[in-house]
Order: sequence, then C-alpha cells, then structure tokens
Amino acid sequence: MHTYEIFLKKDGRDEYRHAGALDAATDDLAMVMARESYIRRAEGDRLWLVRRDHVIVADPDLIAPNADKPHRHHDGSAVAARRKALRNEGASS
Amino acid sequence: MAAFEAFLDDGGIVEVDDDMPAEYRQAVFAFIEMHANSELMGGLTERDWIPRTPGLRHKMSVLAKTQDEIGHGHLLYMVAADMQIKTREEMLEDLFAGKSRFHNVFHYQAVTWGDQVAIAFLVDAAALASQQAVFKNCSYGPYRRILKRIISEEGFHMRLGEDRMMRIAQGTDTQKEIFQGALDRWFWPALQLFGPDSKPDDVLLRWHIKSERNEVLRDKWVQKFVPMLQSYGFTVPAPDLSYDEEAGKWDVGPIDWEPLKRTLAQGGPDSARRINEAKDNWERTRWVRDAMDRAAAVPA
Ligand SMILES: [Fe+2]
Ligand SMILES: [Fe+2]
Repeated sequence: MHTYEIFLKKDGRDEYRHAGALDAATDDLAMVMARESYIRRAEGDRLWLVRRDHVIVADPDLIAPNADKPHRHHDGSAVAARRKALRNEGASS
Repeated sequence: MAAFEAFLDDGGIVEVDDDMPAEYRQAVFAFIEMHANSELMGGLTERDWIPRTPGLRHKMSVLAKTQDEIGHGHLLYMVAADMQIKTREEMLEDLFAGKSRFHNVFHYQAVTWGDQVAIAFLVDAAALASQQAVFKNCSYGPYRRILKRIISEEGFHMRLGEDRMMRIAQGTDTQKEIFQGALDRWFWPALQLFGPDSKPDDVLLRWHIKSERNEVLRDKWVQKFVPMLQSYGFTVPAPDLSYDEEAGKWDVGPIDWEPLKRTLAQGGPDSARRINEAKDNWERTRWVRDAMDRAAAVPA
C-alpha cells in the first residue's frame, strides 16, 4: 500500500488545498478512492494526488533563519508618525 | 509539557511529524481509534439494511450512507495509523478480539426499519454534535481536516433521518407504532453516546481535542430533540421527563449509566454478534486485500 496526499480545487476558484490522505495499492485505484472519499458530493472538480514518499520535506533548521530577518520587513512607523503629525497640525489650524 | 500546553492554548496545531508528548500522542490516538472503530461498526450495520430498505430512493440513500461510513472508517484508520502506535491491521485485530472500544450505540441491534430511522435521526445527530465540538478547536491537524469531511456527510445522514421520520409521522398507525418502538429502544443509547459528565481533569479538554464538556453537549441534544420528537407526535421514553417553565428547559431525569458501562466492556445486548460479524466480514474480504498488496508490489 502507498499513502497519497489529496489536493482539491474548485474550478476557477482558490488554490489547490490539502484535503487529507488515503491508502491505495496503485495510482489508478488511488484516483478512484479519492473520488469516492473526498469529492463524493462535488467538493472540488480538480484533483491532485501526490504519493507521500515523493514529498520532499524541509528540515526546520533550513527554514528557521528566515524567521529572524528584520531587514526584510518595514513597518513604516516613522513615516506614519510624520503623516499623523501633519494631519494633527492641519486640524488644529 | 508546560511549553506544549501553552502552544496548544495559543491555538497551536500539531501535525503528524511534529514532536509531541507521548501522553498526547497516546490520548489522541485512542480517541481517533475509537472513532474509526465506530464508523466501521456503524457502516456494517448500515450495509445490513441495504436489501431491507423500503423503496428505491431510500435504498440508494442507504447505499450512499453506507459508503460514507465505511469511507469515514478508512480515513480515520489512516490518520490513526500515521500516529505510529498501532498499524491498521493491529487496530482491526484488537477490534475483532474485543480489546478496543467502539461507541455504545453500535452494541445494540436494529430490529425494524423504524430503528434505522431512529438511528439516522438520533444517533447520527448525537455523533455529529460531538464531532462538531471536536472540529471546532481540534489541536491535531490531520484529525481536524478529516472531521471536516465527516461532519458534512453526517449532516446528510441526520437530514435523511428527519425526512424519513416526518414521512413515518404522516403515515399509518402501524408505521407510527413501529417508530415509537424504535424510539423506546434508541432514545437512551443515543443520549448516552455523549458519555457521563466530563471529569474536571479530562486531558482531551485540556489538550484541545474536545472543546465542550460531555454534559453540555448532552443537554443541548436533549433541548433540541425532546421538543422535536414531540412535535412529530411521538412520546419521549423518559418517565421522569419534566419541563422547567422558568428556565425554559427540558429535564429527562436521572440517567442510568449501567448500560453504557456494559457496552464499553463489550457486554451490550448485541456486542458479541456484531464483533463476530465484523470479523467474518474481514476474513471474507481477505482476498481483496491480498490482491491489493500484490498490485502495490508491482513497480509502476
Ligand atoms: Fe460516519
Ligand atoms: Fe453517519
């Protein structure tokens, strides 16, 4: 048996979304099982199956450094403060 | 554990490959395993009624409901097996050996078509209410995603049940009598599906698997179903049933939990037959699984 991850999408809407997984013997059987388990009532009209052992999973340590890159963000607070100050001046005059 | 609990309290979702405390893994696994067992046992009973269902339209919906329930079982066993405590085969072996649990309602026999209607209406509704309360805030991601599917299908089962009950309520005196008999058999087991009052230290509540206490869910079900059954002209089989005008609430009186305890020890009225039947079914379909295994072994 292989485990397949199931992705569904409604035509013309949204992105493919992970719906769950299932076990099946072959790709063809997995397709039929996916239709009969995950889109029994037209919950999607596009279907992707990905064998779980084909999914390449990132090591959290590879991703972690990007949580600490403040120079990739800017909250614009100094500019916002100046705009607010200008607005307040305008209102009081 | 403190850090993990803080993560859960903060709305954290646990995925299958994440580190999780062994106690959490065990508790979530046991909960999902019991749910999976119940779907399978329920689906098998549903299947028994396909040939006996009156009328083609009802028969087709019973077929659909049977497929839904077996599908729920399939998906839940997969989610449970992914937790790597037992394989699917081990879970099924334990079920057939009477070593693991399934919901109390599947330890009783459905005697008439009226029972099937009562089950679809009362039991599927009780199961749906419990599942919705889990889905609401479930900290285990893979279970939550599968619950989403299950809940939408259980809603179909419940609506099917009410539609059939409505037809019976508009039917002949014999039909009404048959349904009243079914109600007398199924009202209490359905109510007991919610279980006794939650313990103050219930880890399933603490770890955000359940989002609501058993007694709260049970009471909501009572407030909804007592007046609904009465509105269709049926009698709720609770001798101490009372209505508190001031609070606007129904009270079914004291609940005898002994029948529930017996079912949890596989000593319900129909436990032995049901377990044997499920086991036989598993044996009879072995050739299908063997064929699947051979197909899976062929390189693509
Ligand atoms: Fe179900
Ligand atoms: Fe159901």
